[in-house]
Amino acid sequence: MMTDAAKTSLTGDRGRSGAPRSAKSANAISTSVLLGPALLLCGVFIVVPAILAIFGSFFDFGITSQNWEFVGLGNYGRAASDPVFWIALRNNLIIVVGSIILQVGVGTILAAILDRGLPSGSTIFRTIIFAPMVVSSVAIAIIWLVILDPNVGALNAVIKQIGLTPPALGWLGDPNIAIWMILIIAMWQFTGFMMVLILAGLQGIPKELYEAASLDGARGLKAFWYITLPSIRNILIVAVLITTIGGFKVFDLIYATTQGGPANATQVLGTYIYQQAFNLGNMGYADAISVVLLLIAVALGWLQLQISRRA
Amino acid sequence: MGSRFRFVNVVLYGAVSLWSLFVLLPLVWMVIASSKTRREIFLDPLGLPAQFRLDAFERAWSVGMGTFLFNSAIITFFSVIVIVVVSGMAAYVLARSDNKWMQLVYLMIVAGFAVPVQAVLVPLFQMVSEAGMLNSRAAIVLPYAAYGVPFTTILFYAFFLDFPRELEEAARLDGCGRLQIFFRIILPLSGPAIASAAIFQAVFIWNEFVLALLMLTKPALKTLPVGILQLTGEFTADWPAIMAGLSIAVLPILLIFILAQKYFVRSLAGLGK
Repeated sequence: MMTDAAKTSLTGDRGRSGAPRSAKSANAISTSVLLGPALLLCGVFIVVPAILAIFGSFFDFGITSQNWEFVGLGNYGRAASDPVFWIALRNNLIIVVGSIILQVGVGTILAAILDRGLPSGSTIFRTIIFAPMVVSSVAIAIIWLVILDPNVGALNAVIKQIGLTPPALGWLGDPNIAIWMILIIAMWQFTGFMMVLILAGLQGIPKELYEAASLDGARGLKAFWYITLPSIRNILIVAVLITTIGGFKVFDLIYATTQGGPANATQVLGTYIYQQAFNLGNMGYADAISVVLLLIAVALGWLQLQISRRA
Repeated sequence: MGSRFRFVNVVLYGAVSLWSLFVLLPLVWMVIASSKTRREIFLDPLGLPAQFRLDAFERAWSVGMGTFLFNSAIITFFSVIVIVVVSGMAAYVLARSDNKWMQLVYLMIVAGFAVPVQAVLVPLFQMVSEAGMLNSRAAIVLPYAAYGVPFTTILFYAFFLDFPRELEEAARLDGCGRLQIFFRIILPLSGPAIASAAIFQAVFIWNEFVLALLMLTKPALKTLPVGILQLTGEFTADWPAIMAGLSIAVLPILLIFILAQKYFVRSLAGLGK
């Protein structure tokens, strides 16, 4: 294999293997043909915008304005003293922590039940619970928008039927409730995804492990605690990371329900970047917030790949 | 022991059934609400309609649901093809090279996986708009493809590492170049990896919202996620029409999912690996 001419690389450090010159250049050409499009696409649409976001964050400029005014770290200073930026970051953290508890927590329980608890019917339940994952977040947002509507919504109708009073400002109109509703909608959509992810890990646990534990008297919840959870530790970490990344990236759901309102109560970094850039025209400031989001996402993404490689 | 076993089963079935009901009810409500009249949904949000009607579907369809469906389908189709071919080619070269620089290239593509589109939205929009690529179905395929490449390359890379090399050797002895080997031997034998990658990216692109919102603003070019958001503005109090529009958007993808759920689940669960 090592002397294989066709494996000779671009730098030619294995060119001494005696490959004919023409084969070497043909190889270089085929390498660029095969690798070029991927590098071009990623370079133009991922790397260049990322660099431009960092660059732009040091300037003040509008959507159409040609004059960029250098402001140094001004946009970052502005973020640090902007209460809405901190509200947005806090909301992202609420969504991250809440989603980890609800989605990964409930997902793990459901996965454990589907894996070993049910004599039959697992596939049907799995299909139903996973289904929202393939539906667009915008469609889900609007369905819930109508369900939570104060006038025609199903939730208020149910609440009134059992004799309780729904919130006067509406489920999404009350600044103290809205973010929790967002959390519930996200849970409705993604818990099935977490369940399937964890289920794949559970199915890899050798049955002998449970049999041995059963002989030692560990069944049911005990087996879940001492066998199941430790065996899927890495998958659980990956699930937490995916949920964390998703919690920082959240946009569609909030844009289509509350647009960050009422009074910024559901504002997150994603919607705030959009608002600053495309509604208010503060492109440089939006770039600075983008860089914060970029750094968080890259750090978490890196962590995810490191751990999932070991899983 | 016997009765205890049954009791546990009831609790476990109860738990998954309850969650399934929680998932199903909003979708069922959507379909029921779409066949009601405006009056019915206002007076009795929970009840069934007096008679099953389809006129809300007609009203929703007249806004251009057909156009949105078509745009989403064609953009998803071409984006997925570009992603599969481009990532496949790159992953093949990278998986067959143990050169240090190539490993670095692989790591850089992998790093691209971590960059969310929301974090580069502002410069991306400026670039696309400067290049005159706004309001073009062909142009939006390019960023969609770019953001699909890193994950798909990781997926194919792992697949090609396990791919038997004897076939490639034989083809090479027959005088095939690398491009020929890739397109005639590797790609046709990569069915499972291609299916996994294609389903994953198709679901993602079919539902993609923010880029479509910014890049395709003409009504005739809008995709489904952006189009259905327009429904709420179009029909201010016509809830049945909004729910009918959502049903048109949601039910086909759910049907495809149910028919091919095994492949969907396998493909999307791959994110954990």
